[in-house]
Amino acid sequence: MKIPTRAGGSLIAAAVMTIGVTVAGFGSAAAQPGDYGTLPVDPNLITDSLAYNAAPPTFNPNGQPGVTAVYTHRDGSRQITSTILVLPDAQAATATLSGAQPQVTGMVANGKTEPAAVGTGGTTVSGMSPDGSKSVTVLTFTQGNAATTIEFDGLPKDPAPVDLVLELGRKQDTAIRDWQAA
Amino acid sequence: MRKIGMALAIAALMSGSVATAQTAYAAQTTHDTNVYTQPSVPTLPKVQMLDCRGTTGAMGCGPGWFWRDGWRGWSCYPC
Repeated sequence: MKIPTRAGGSLIAAAVMTIGVTVAGFGSAAAQPGDYGTLPVDPNLITDSLAYNAAPPTFNPNGQPGVTAVYTHRDGSRQITSTILVLPDAQAATATLSGAQPQVTGMVANGKTEPAAVGTGGTTVSGMSPDGSKSVTVLTFTQGNAATTIEFDGLPKDPAPVDLVLELGRKQDTAIRDWQAA
Repeated sequence: MRKIGMALAIAALMSGSVATAQTAYAAQTTHDTNVYTQPSVPTLPKVQMLDCRGTTGAMGCGPGWFWRDGWRGWSCYPC
């Protein structure tokens, strides 16, 4: 069974269209220009190394600085979508994720929201898609001026394991910090 | 005299046989030498956890785990 792909991949990118633009005017210029292509962490780092195929990344989704990367399991039944937006400052990143929260909860029917020890303000929302066709887990967190969502879509009876969600999230958090420090 | 001796001998033989028979009978009734074995009580079946395919685990997976292509690719996953 194939998991429907998320066109464009970014739900926070849509939210940042309103929030990010608002705060961009008084940012501290912490946003870092450059190649965002190295930001997303390939989930194959924590798999058998060949489980996921990466689609070409989408840079600056919805016109916002950052990147969206979609990784599809070789059997087509699972998909991981990572979106990292680089905002003017940490406050903007936090505001962006707060603004995207209704969209996150809206894409998970009866979602269970839990704190996650990832980055700053890490949160997971897990449950089923509104149409019941797939399991959905969304991890959100910020790291400095970066706002990140990682969405895990799977078969209804095969949700993403919590340990995998946290492990990939932490690796992504580390990659963002390394990128910011570079 | 000879007749008396013969009678005593016969009497002795007969009484000896009877006495022996009584002794043997008594032994059978009061000291049962048969060995009776206690019927074995069925023990509860021993449960050994197996993986989802009913084996002891493919690809080195332990009991309760099985090998499949999951979120982490090919690996051992809980049943």
